[in-house]
Amino acid sequence: MFGSIFAFELHRLAASVSTYIYFFILFAVTFFVAVLVGGAFPDVNINFGGEKIYANAPVIIDAIFSNLDFYIGTILMVAIIGTAVLKDFRSNTYSMIFTTPVSKFDYLFGRFSACLLVTLIILSAPAFGLMAGYATPWVNSSRIEAFMLLPYIHTYWQTIVPNTILFGSIYFSVSLISRDIFVIWLSLLIIFVVLSVSNAIFNSLDFRTMAALIDPRGNMAKSTLGRYWSTDQKNHLHYTLTGLFLLNRIIWLGISCIVWIIGYSYFSFTSAPRRLFLKTPKTAETPKMTFIPSFFRKSELPPVSQSFDTASHLRILFGLAVNECKTILRNTYFRIILLFGMLFLFLVSSQIGKIYDTTVFPVTYQVVEYFDGVFQLLLTILTIMFTGEIVWRGRDNRMDNILDALPVPNWVFYVSKLAGIFFMQVILLSLIMVCGVAVQLYKGYTHIEPLLYIQYLFGFKLIDIWLLAILAMFVQSLVTNKYLGYFIVALFYFWNGTFAMLVLKNSLFVFSSDPGVVYSDMNHFGHTVFPYFIYKLYWSAFALVLAALSSLFWARGTAKTFKLRLADARNKANARSWAIVTIGLLVFIGSGGFIYFNTNVQNKFMTEFQQEELQAKFEKTYKKFRNAPQPKITDVALNVDLFPNERGLHASGTFVLQNKSKGPIDSVHVLMPDGIKVRELKFSRSSQLMSNDTQYSYRIYKLAQPLQPGDTTVLSFTVDMVSKGFKQSFTGLSTPIYNGTFVNNESFLPSIGYDRNYEISDNNHRKKHGLGYRRTSNPINDTASYQRSLFTRDADFITFDATVSTVADQTAIAPGYLVKDWMDNGRHYFHYKMDNKILNFYSFLSARYTVKKEVFNNVNLEIYYNKGHEYNLNRMFNSMKKSLTYYTAHFSPYQHKQVRILEFPRYATFAQSFPNTIPTSEGIGFIANVDDSSKENVDYPFYVTAHEVAHQWFAHQVIGADVEGSNMMSETFAQYGAIMVMEKEYGEDRIRKFLHIEMDGYLRDRSNDAEKEKPLALVDNSQQYIFYQKGGIVMHALNKYLGEDSVNHALKNFIEQYALKGAPYPTTMDFLATLRRSTPDSLQYLITDAFERITLYDNKITVAKSRKEGEKYFVEATIESHKIVSDSTGKETVVPSDDYIEIGVYKDRKSSPQITRYKLKGGETKLSIPTNDKPYKVIIDPRLLLIDKKLDDNEMKLEDETKTAKK
Amino acid sequence: MLQITNLSKTYPNGVKALQDVSLTISNGMFGLLGPNGAGKSTLMRTIATLQDADSGTIMFGDINVSKQKQELRKVLGYLPQEFGVYPRVSAEEMLHYIARLKGVANDKERKELVQALLEQVNLYNHRKKSLSGYSGGMKQRFGIAQALIGSPKLIIVDEPTAGLDPAERLRFNNLLSEIGENIVIILSTHIVEDVSELCRDMAIIAGGKVVQRGNPEDLVNALENRIWSKRVKKDEVAQYQANYKMVLAKLSAGSMKVFIDSETDPGNDFKRERATLEDVYFSNIF
Repeated sequence: MFGSIFAFELHRLAASVSTYIYFFILFAVTFFVAVLVGGAFPDVNINFGGEKIYANAPVIIDAIFSNLDFYIGTILMVAIIGTAVLKDFRSNTYSMIFTTPVSKFDYLFGRFSACLLVTLIILSAPAFGLMAGYATPWVNSSRIEAFMLLPYIHTYWQTIVPNTILFGSIYFSVSLISRDIFVIWLSLLIIFVVLSVSNAIFNSLDFRTMAALIDPRGNMAKSTLGRYWSTDQKNHLHYTLTGLFLLNRIIWLGISCIVWIIGYSYFSFTSAPRRLFLKTPKTAETPKMTFIPSFFRKSELPPVSQSFDTASHLRILFGLAVNECKTILRNTYFRIILLFGMLFLFLVSSQIGKIYDTTVFPVTYQVVEYFDGVFQLLLTILTIMFTGEIVWRGRDNRMDNILDALPVPNWVFYVSKLAGIFFMQVILLSLIMVCGVAVQLYKGYTHIEPLLYIQYLFGFKLIDIWLLAILAMFVQSLVTNKYLGYFIVALFYFWNGTFAMLVLKNSLFVFSSDPGVVYSDMNHFGHTVFPYFIYKLYWSAFALVLAALSSLFWARGTAKTFKLRLADARNKANARSWAIVTIGLLVFIGSGGFIYFNTNVQNKFMTEFQQEELQAKFEKTYKKFRNAPQPKITDVALNVDLFPNERGLHASGTFVLQNKSKGPIDSVHVLMPDGIKVRELKFSRSSQLMSNDTQYSYRIYKLAQPLQPGDTTVLSFTVDMVSKGFKQSFTGLSTPIYNGTFVNNESFLPSIGYDRNYEISDNNHRKKHGLGYRRTSNPINDTASYQRSLFTRDADFITFDATVSTVADQTAIAPGYLVKDWMDNGRHYFHYKMDNKILNFYSFLSARYTVKKEVFNNVNLEIYYNKGHEYNLNRMFNSMKKSLTYYTAHFSPYQHKQVRILEFPRYATFAQSFPNTIPTSEGIGFIANVDDSSKENVDYPFYVTAHEVAHQWFAHQVIGADVEGSNMMSETFAQYGAIMVMEKEYGEDRIRKFLHIEMDGYLRDRSNDAEKEKPLALVDNSQQYIFYQKGGIVMHALNKYLGEDSVNHALKNFIEQYALKGAPYPTTMDFLATLRRSTPDSLQYLITDAFERITLYDNKITVAKSRKEGEKYFVEATIESHKIVSDSTGKETVVPSDDYIEIGVYKDRKSSPQITRYKLKGGETKLSIPTNDKPYKVIIDPRLLLIDKKLDDNEMKLEDETKTAKK
Repeated sequence: MLQITNLSKTYPNGVKALQDVSLTISNGMFGLLGPNGAGKSTLMRTIATLQDADSGTIMFGDINVSKQKQELRKVLGYLPQEFGVYPRVSAEEMLHYIARLKGVANDKERKELVQALLEQVNLYNHRKKSLSGYSGGMKQRFGIAQALIGSPKLIIVDEPTAGLDPAERLRFNNLLSEIGENIVIILSTHIVEDVSELCRDMAIIAGGKVVQRGNPEDLVNALENRIWSKRVKKDEVAQYQANYKMVLAKLSAGSMKVFIDSETDPGNDFKRERATLEDVYFSNIF
């Protein structure tokens, strides 16, 4: 029996065209993805996880294969497995089958296994698509490694097969229990939602094991396996079925079986499903079956008036639309979805805006952005699913025979159904708003901005999902199979969201695109509104065309060929629809033209590739001048007029240039930033413009009389920055904005000499443009580069004087001290003058600021902030004070008399230290909600401030030469300063969390580095994870191992020797020499490990027991320690070691551990650690001084040996 | 008046559903009789704008059906051979819904109409009941009620009595008979009695072709005195089929009875039978 059911089902599916279509589409899509990722188009740059990871590395294959099969494949599971039994009810064949002697098991298992098998076969298509794609001659052979079959097989058996069994079982069981396709969709939604909730909640460090087990797809388990893999490992290892991954697979296969059995036992061979909730049906009286001849009198039917004009069609439409909306509201499943969505939003609300695992105040924009973000998937799925159901409802219920012959034009049907979908979407967005407000109130936050909710949700976001609904409706009204429609819409959505922009290279071809819109409390929606709506007008016009076409081609009557539908559509009666198509096309083309004019004519638009081509040409043309001696800027005087409303500025000023080289200089190279209009540019001595390259704004002036060593000349200039139209991509801080301007000198003022930063830095990209290998940073022994500082090539330290003007109600700020401010001609002027020399690196800000001031040890502390953002001002003031105290005491005096923090809009999330001026994004601390009672919270407003204040020393007092390693002397030292100030303020226990996050960040990013990982002392400009994350950790460790005084003493000496000196600048070699001098021989290895090589540890406790001896306790622990040195390719070698490692013993959960330092040889060591209190837990390296890839085996709770013995 | 001219339709699988069908149908009940698969439904659906023919035209008055579908729909009442219903929707709601779609925009009028229709088709007591719980007969009565909304000038009822019990069939035919004389009603059926009970004009369609047409009485009259019957053994049927122009052989009280068409007395113990429409039907479809 089983056999024949299985075979019949298989035969049926094999005879179905859609089976092949699904397979073919999956194959084609993955083929295309493989070709793209394989670099077939040199100007389409797609890579997952770094350039050094091959396009066909096992991890990449796994990611594409398993994700595509999950997101797109899920529709197949519903379509094939979910309807395996349902179709018998729909086509009424159940009555025949249920009355045959077939057993329930044979029937259900036969159906299920055949459908599962077919689904699995279809879902193997991506493997073949990828293989074929990678094998084409179009792919870039350097992106592809030799073919390996095993990764495909592994992914298929370890991920695709178990996941299909699991989700197939779920959909199958749900179909058995409910016999309703809606409930299957509902279960799909619930799965997606639960997945995203658990991802959001368990994504923090502490829950990794848990997350790995509860993720039914196995993705989290796989990522725990491969989290810290080096590039080499990523290219060659595949996920093996071990550990958490194996456990995960076993658990979920078990759950699949249980789910299947539940569905199986619930099902019975009856025509109606069992009731889920026991409810005794009301017994209705059977009507008497007597024969009453009926006397139908047509004449007695009341006369009615019928009208078929447009007005009455509109009335019908309204009635139908109301009906559709009511139907949706009455839909039990929709109500369940709403409840579920609400629950989901409340569950994830704890994660809103987390930075460093620390939450923010639930200000409206955070809540609405976060909720909208996490709801996106749900909204999309619901839109696609409801669209299909609503379009097909007539046909699914076989009502079409009656409805299609009614005198209602297609557009009435179409628009009423669309209105139903629109209405549903509005309800869902309202749910976000209601839950958002509820969450805000629940958290005790009362500054609710209803208008902002409405603007964000119904002004901006609604348009997008309406467009999606129209698109989905269009597809569904053309296809002849609902599931095929779903499949096509899902694929298109996937394509549109991932590859469309990369391949088509213009957002005019990316459905529903826009340059982006970001809300900021400072600048509101600002300048992003206009371009957003122009783009949406463009897409709405397109959608109008789709809508008119959908209505023209609306399937009516018996399934028709396209030709017949076209004939219908061409009917004269449809002239109006065609007129709409025409109007839509006209608006589409018109607005498209307007956009093109703005983005590509008024503004330059370049793809990444074209941009790089330009950079390459620059390098090829001008690199020959890189060592041409150039004068340096010594004095800067500026007049900068900011025009926030016009988003432009006008600047004039003078640079005093001095020849600091040893020979005469006869020509000066002046570079202007892109897009700056030069009104005037001249030297105080006579000169001639020899070459004026307008493409790069590279000018070469020949001086009539060469500049002799020590001689000066004055460069005076007038420049304009004008914003014209809008660009394809979001522009945040690059120009002045309505409120919250933040521009620096590099964005609009001239600079002197060839700029290496214009070169393409990525070596893989360089190759594409015919450039040779280039070191990211200059080698450390390149003494010529010692003449330039890391930040400014054209100046050492300068004097600075600036007058800045802005609109009347704003405050404009530049480095220096305010000499005078005045109003003139309706503008507000500010004159700033710096009292001592600074780096040639300064910024101009302007906004409607509120100011809070304090004075601390004769230093004026000021915070310029946006009204309403008072939450953390005290934390920032406190941090400024503690930082000034620590740095002054340990390093050197503060060179200014003022520290100013200035808020700028959250278009970028960083803080940056300029001389006595620290612009800080509104997104990085101003609204943080730090819970001081929790060890798990990081006071990041405090930390960020401490870090930036430290830069006043590290960078602004002492700065390294323009060679590798120098970032260590600004960022690492600033990071060190901040960690020390934090530790003083909060204690060792609370910075453990911070260090843990940093260590995780370092280990994760080093495995993604596109270039070679370098030791800290030779770090490249691009290797942030080394000079921030690793740097902070190792400096903190040295502080503990060498002692605070030794490390700080070295820093102090180093500053003393190099601060504010100008060229030649120091390198890390100079610092290490200083540090080594204050380090005993026994600890010199620490400096080598920290700075000169890549050192990791693999420490673990294998056995730990406690023992009581008299009043004392002993912890008997077996420690395994391995020291690992990694080379630049990520190859790791265990080296012999004999290092100091700390062991901590906790007496309970809360108090600080007792820490003892041991000298441990590599390998296994047995320790007996005496303690006074009964020990609770033993831990290696409790203060996180050593970088260890696997921290969870570093600790062990203690069992009492004596107790165990008794048992 | 409905004028069908040279209508042909061939399905993609090669079945010739309609072959050059031409019919002129005037006001009154027109019976379209034919076996299953004869092309009746295709013809009905084509008239009802749900399908397109490959060639030929259908004119209803001034309306060219395939070109002015919307116009025809305004005067059409259609009861399809098979139709489903939305779950959890009552007859009353559904009638309102359809009435609205048929352009009955006035709420009061619509309400009165729906109520009257429900009463007339004897569903008033069940009006709140979900349609999905209706019996076959109730569902068909609902079907005719919805077709009558908006005083249609052309009513198409496609096999309405198939599957109904005798009482329901009678009741349904009673309903149909009262619908009116001034409009075109096309009743497609494979049940001969339906036509003989209701229609004054008819056509027999088989294999996609019109094989007979006329007034049922005339057609029966034409066969009068030509039908002869005889009881035979089962294994003799073939022999009779070969020797006579057999109309049909059917079971009668447990044995076989053959009917033949003969202008003269065939002798051989054949007895004269009264001609019926069934004889007309059977003599035309084979």
